Amino acid sequence: MFDEGGWLMQKNGTNLIPPSHSSHRLDKMAKPYLYWLYIFACLPMLIMFCLMFVDTEGIRFEGLEFTFSNFSILIQRSTLIAFFNSVKYSVLTTLICIFFGYLIAYSLYQSKFKNKYLILLLLILPMWTNVLLRINALASVFKENNILSDIFHIRGLNIIGTDLAIILGMVFTYLPFIVLPIYTSLEKIDPSLHEAALDLGVTEFTKFWKVIVPLSLRGVLSGSIMVLLPCLSGFAIPKVLGEGNILLIGNIIEQSFIDMSYNLGSVLAVVLLIVILGSILLVNKFDKEGETLL
Amino acid sequence: MMENSVYEYATLEEYGYKERKYLKLIWKIVKIVLLVFSIFMLYFSIIIIAIQSFNSSASTTEFASFTFKNYLQMFSKRSLNDAILNTFKTSILATLIATVLGTFIAVGIYYLPPKVKSRIMLLNNIPLLNADIVTGVSLMLIFSLFLPIYKHLFGFWTILFAHIYFILPYIVLSVLPKMKEIDPNLLDASLDLGVKPVRSVTRVIIPAIKGGIFSGMVLAFTISFEDFVVGYFTTGNGYNTLSIWIYSSIGRKSLFPGVYAFSTALTILMILIIVVYNLIKGRKKHEKKIR
Repeated sequence: MFDEGGWLMQKNGTNLIPPSHSSHRLDKMAKPYLYWLYIFACLPMLIMFCLMFVDTEGIRFEGLEFTFSNFSILIQRSTLIAFFNSVKYSVLTTLICIFFGYLIAYSLYQSKFKNKYLILLLLILPMWTNVLLRINALASVFKENNILSDIFHIRGLNIIGTDLAIILGMVFTYLPFIVLPIYTSLEKIDPSLHEAALDLGVTEFTKFWKVIVPLSLRGVLSGSIMVLLPCLSGFAIPKVLGEGNILLIGNIIEQSFIDMSYNLGSVLAVVLLIVILGSILLVNKFDKEGETLL
Repeated sequence: MMENSVYEYATLEEYGYKERKYLKLIWKIVKIVLLVFSIFMLYFSIIIIAIQSFNSSASTTEFASFTFKNYLQMFSKRSLNDAILNTFKTSILATLIATVLGTFIAVGIYYLPPKVKSRIMLLNNIPLLNADIVTGVSLMLIFSLFLPIYKHLFGFWTILFAHIYFILPYIVLSVLPKMKEIDPNLLDASLDLGVKPVRSVTRVIIPAIKGGIFSGMVLAFTISFEDFVVGYFTTGNGYNTLSIWIYSSIGRKSLFPGVYAFSTALTILMILIIVVYNLIKGRKKHEKKIR
């Protein structure tokens, strides 16, 4: 480890001293961020947790009363249906997005484009158009008489207000979210592994299935969560594309907070939070530094 | 005399190789079809918006005739102008503040002891992965605590603060990998030469990680510009961003067609910026090669 002069040696340019063992105390710059996250990420969860057990009006703390009555919203029929719908749509959307997202990412990874960064930028180009405007545009073409049917003289699909409309809307909106993480994880695969696999005599398909897929699962996981969570909790897509026929859990939470019934909203938000925190722990387990999240 | 061929050459088929010519061809075609379909899915909605922007009728059911009228009248509605201006104001300010803070935070995180580092990375994922609606509601609850002190709190400042909060993790996550790539001797050298730590961060580290800072900044701005839900819950006093304005217009079923033109123009502008930037970059690389 030490050379003759007693100096710490460097192996392949990496420092043997961990970055935290330094004298300059630059780590002090990150400390306030920890408290910032405690206050703005953790404290509200605590507030919501407390709001579940009390009966307040808005967030005034006068005449607090301890009660379990807020939990009755969980067994209401409309809530149960909303939960079921949310899970159904988000899981289906995520599966479809994994398939097409992987296809796009893998094709880009295999392609011989010189400037793949440019293609990635073009892939997220739709994100520069407001998401609500895009959903509204979809809603307009999901009706029987729409601008496309007028131009091409065909009959429209008229699927607005159905399951299909919501799933299509979610896939169209969230597909870009999954391409980037998968692409990042594919790029991290050592290119010599491809040659090694082919040298050892596997077919293209076996190589893909046994080598590439397992190594990119991290990106698939991060990407799936980035699609699943907004689908699970969103309220704009079901509102616009469901035409009020279909309620998701996000719609009920939004309505509760708009109606100032923070207690009921908190109960549902905490249920959602449990799913979200579970996903965050899952992502953190497989991807400690958050490399595939961008 | 020896016979010429004692052993016959084994064919590939005898080794178990199967020529799946047709299967491969079919898969190739299916793959192209699926790929075209997925690209279609990505761009379908913005194509519809583009068509709508050239429509002379405000109705979304018919294409009356081709016109540039919407582009000329893009900024003729005051409420839309205000919303666009507000969106740019909050997003640009939030991005700039978050970029500066996030860069210093990420540099700090790199030098944290592993235990604290893993805790901060876990917490850093919360604003990033948390559902927008929960983030929005959480921040609204926090801000509501301050309402007794200042009644008109909700509006520009709350949205700005909320945006800084949820785009910071993006900056941190794009800067941090770059910290691992830089030579650790750089900082030590500057410290040995007697430069103060903060000054060596601004003079030595930041120039080395500027690529990560820039890509984080672009991403953060995109996320902030796109946001609807968080802004929706943290706004107040009639302060509209573009998303909130569109949402209430959709609710009233009266969407001013100028907004289609604005969106299409913005998309075209973005394409131009991306292409021109890449051309310039490509040319610079080329010049370097010639030298």
